[in-house]
Amino acid sequence: MKQQHQPCRSCAEALALLRALDFAIQETVLYLDAYPECRQALDYYHTLLHKREEAAARYEDTCGPLTLYGNRSTDSWDWTRGPWPWEAEAN
Amino acid sequence: MWTYDKKLQYPVKIKNPNPKLASLIISQLGGPDGELAASMRYLNQRYSMPYGQVTGILTDVGTEELAHLEMVAAILYQLTRNLSEDEIEKSPFATYFVDHTTGIYPIAASGVPMDMKYVGIKGDVIADLNEDLAAEQKARVTYDNILRLTDDPDVRDPIKYLREREIVHYQRFGDALRIAQDHLDSKNFYAFNPSFKPKR
Repeated sequence: MKQQHQPCRSCAEALALLRALDFAIQETVLYLDAYPECRQALDYYHTLLHKREEAAARYEDTCGPLTLYGNRSTDSWDWTRGPWPWEAEAN
Repeated sequence: MWTYDKKLQYPVKIKNPNPKLASLIISQLGGPDGELAASMRYLNQRYSMPYGQVTGILTDVGTEELAHLEMVAAILYQLTRNLSEDEIEKSPFATYFVDHTTGIYPIAASGVPMDMKYVGIKGDVIADLNEDLAAEQKARVTYDNILRLTDDPDVRDPIKYLREREIVHYQRFGDALRIAQDHLDSKNFYAFNPSFKPKR
């Protein structure tokens, strides 16, 4: 699937969800680093992780790869297609 | 953004500590052609690159350099384990030890701390890619020099790996320069300044 130059609405929404989940995971990880015995935080981490996998798959299926391991297409190399994250169009 | 993989790119397993050797290899952490300078050079050059393929090469090589920074740090960490005060005192590592103990602090072998003066970022695709080609060769020479200065196979193995990566990166930057030049007017190869992005 080719990446859109102007991210379509569904890509922008998929990215917003992914960012929210990644931020929640980041916060939970920082907390767990300090409080590894916290059962509630560990359960929350796993709930988030499951949602994150789905959100990342949804983004990569239609909007382009997120990492080196996410070029879904077997026919085209989409990793170097724009826009790049620092460009306003990507945000 | 970045995430961290909890593994080295290539294994580092050194049996014998050697503080003198650590005080030489540290140049590939914080020296003029070290891995910290390399990652900062490529990752910060990306923003003014007008071609996606070149931006991609800089992103991926720059990220790999961060992995190499960790490998060099692992070599330094293992070379400075379990030292006696006597071993430290008799080694040139003592001058580093007095300021940083066995912490990993990016300096050149000469003792000069890491400096962004080592890094060229001109905001011009031709200037920056030529900087990168030279940087990879300079890093390769530094690894060659390190290999001249040690016969410990545990150290030579990861250093040889890092040296090989400099050669591969040089090849890819050569490709990047060719890609950039293919976008330029062939009659005006060197005079045309491509650093301003064409409007989409």
